Amino acid sequence: MTEVLTVQGLAKRYGDLAAVDGVSFTIAPGETFGLLGPNGAGKTTTISMIAGLIAADAGTVTVAGKGMGPSETAAKRHLGLVPQELAIYPDLTGRENLSFFGRLQGLNGRDLSRRTQEVLELIGLADRAGDLTKNYSGGMKRRLNIGIGLLHRPTLLILDEPTVGVDPQSRNSILEAVEALSSEGMAVLYTTHYMEEAERLCDRIAIIDEGSIQAEGTRDELIKLTGGVDRINLHGSGNSVAAAAALRLVPGVQHVDGDGSALSLTVQDGPSVLAGIVTGAGNAGMSVTSVEITRPDLESVFLHLTGKALRD
Amino acid sequence: MTAVLALAGVELKRFLRDRSNIFFVFIFPLMLILLIGSQFGAGAGQSRVAISGSGSSLAEAIKTKLEAADVDVTFAGADTVRQELSRGSTDVGLFISEAAAAEFDAGGSEAGRPAEVEVVMGSQSGAQAVMQQVRTAIQSVNVERGQLAALTQAGLPAAQADEALAAASQRLSAPKVEVVDTSEIAQEFRGLGQFDLGAAQQLLLFVFLSSLTGATTLIQARKLGVIPRMLAAPVSSGQAVAGQALGRFAIALVQGGYIMLGTALLFGVQWGSIALSVLVLALFCTVSAAAAMVIGSVMDNDGAASGVGVGAGLVLAGLGGCMVPPELFPETLRTVSYITPHRFAYDAFAEIQRHEGGLGDILPQLGVLAAMAVALLLLGSLLLRRSLNRSL
Repeated sequence: MTEVLTVQGLAKRYGDLAAVDGVSFTIAPGETFGLLGPNGAGKTTTISMIAGLIAADAGTVTVAGKGMGPSETAAKRHLGLVPQELAIYPDLTGRENLSFFGRLQGLNGRDLSRRTQEVLELIGLADRAGDLTKNYSGGMKRRLNIGIGLLHRPTLLILDEPTVGVDPQSRNSILEAVEALSSEGMAVLYTTHYMEEAERLCDRIAIIDEGSIQAEGTRDELIKLTGGVDRINLHGSGNSVAAAAALRLVPGVQHVDGDGSALSLTVQDGPSVLAGIVTGAGNAGMSVTSVEITRPDLESVFLHLTGKALRD
Repeated sequence: MTAVLALAGVELKRFLRDRSNIFFVFIFPLMLILLIGSQFGAGAGQSRVAISGSGSSLAEAIKTKLEAADVDVTFAGADTVRQELSRGSTDVGLFISEAAAAEFDAGGSEAGRPAEVEVVMGSQSGAQAVMQQVRTAIQSVNVERGQLAALTQAGLPAAQADEALAAASQRLSAPKVEVVDTSEIAQEFRGLGQFDLGAAQQLLLFVFLSSLTGATTLIQARKLGVIPRMLAAPVSSGQAVAGQALGRFAIALVQGGYIMLGTALLFGVQWGSIALSVLVLALFCTVSAAAAMVIGSVMDNDGAASGVGVGAGLVLAGLGGCMVPPELFPETLRTVSYITPHRFAYDAFAEIQRHEGGLGDILPQLGVLAAMAVALLLLGSLLLRRSLNRSL
């Protein structure tokens, strides 16, 4: 399969800071690829180089087989960018914004008019197309922001944290739109620091931190990196020291840590061993008041790989 | 090219859509031109005489003589005439008593005796010259009256005497007083219409001022985040810069063209050769657009940029002769005024409007304006390109 996007050894430095350091990945047609990382991880810098906004210090970017760079207009024709910040003129109408950016993409005449109308209907703004966008709600602006990126039917759509600051309803609408585009065969590069969005949308995910990719794969492949174990936290009163010793002997329990009234256990298949753990703790003299099971997710993966939480 | 035109078009559309521009860009300049022309324009030098004592043949005779000499004559009551004199809204006041009017109508108690009227001169500088015109008119009326009296005393019937005098006046041309100010400054403005000078000055002031204050849209474009989106499209940074420059030029040209057309239609301003005037305007607009690019590129705060634009726009306009004509400047200031593009454009318009100058006559001014435009465009493009990179 011909890759829509190939990123190889991408690097960018700002003084002593390596904003992006040797990033490589590919995206196939119809694939949604997620760049998951906290704020400041290097996601936007990576995207800026992929979109040809800034020149890379090292590495290459190929979009639809064409080399990308700030002056490479041939590659840019295949790319649709939806920036993190709203990038629309508030003193133009929704239709005028689409029409203007469509012209920049080389659309004109009937083709531009038809495509503008199609996108307005796709993003649900056809009935408000003649209103100035400064009068739009936040969600409507977000939808227009995305619609502009779709005008010229790009081969690769880049969405840079498109749901930041969006209400839950609009956020869901945006996620559904991305799923629809992907099902139509559009390759999507999606950056986010929301684990749930990456898990829902992305076929493959790269976890990025401090400018470099820590791991890449499907969700299941990434979770396996953590060892696939669950974590159970017990809170209660009584003899927690004796309880910790007893629980180490329960089948499926791999590790037990205790600090006074709380115990933290690493187990295989938490739900199946939970009953035995609560019983064992009780028999050892600990009265359990609360139990918490944490199954592995991308947050756990990130914690496992970087030693810090995703939202730090 | 499509991208450049799209960029320029959207800049122009946003400028025209901004309601705050309607007054300051389109209404205010014409109001100022009207005000300045009314107060200080060439027509404001019209000789004005107010006469108290309307209805008498003496008053009508003097009025006829004065109007023949291009003097603006009005009739009013004695109190009104005095008020107009004190306020300077008339140059000379004539007070014709009922006795004098009756005596004139009766042909004089003693035939040929001169009519006597009270004449009061205003305090303004031009009143002295108008006074001279009034004296001449009154003397002329008296002479004609004396001639008529002499003829009737010689036994000629009154009707024949009138005919004889009328025939004689057609054969002879009466002496006419023409007031000519021979000073260098007066000669410089000779031939200008009432609004011509103010129109050229305000055109330059407002085109430059609006361009500089409009530089804020460049800053806003960076803040709105549309620059990265533009440059992610198949648009080079050179095209983006060219589009912004063309947009600023279009804005300046629309305003300048509007003022030229509006003043020509509303106030009858004579712009001389339209082709040459538009050429001067186009070059001046290019300088203005490039200056706006410089301000919009080096500054990141649109409020501060607007303040700098207003300040710089007014100072340069004042220095360049758009507030007080540079012909009235002291010698040193006149020399300094040539650091501004306004001065060169002013001189070019003066040559076209006042002296029917051709392309050859304004080539020096056009050359300097073109050089300024090129230098500022290069600087503005360089700075704008850097500012675009700052916004990524």
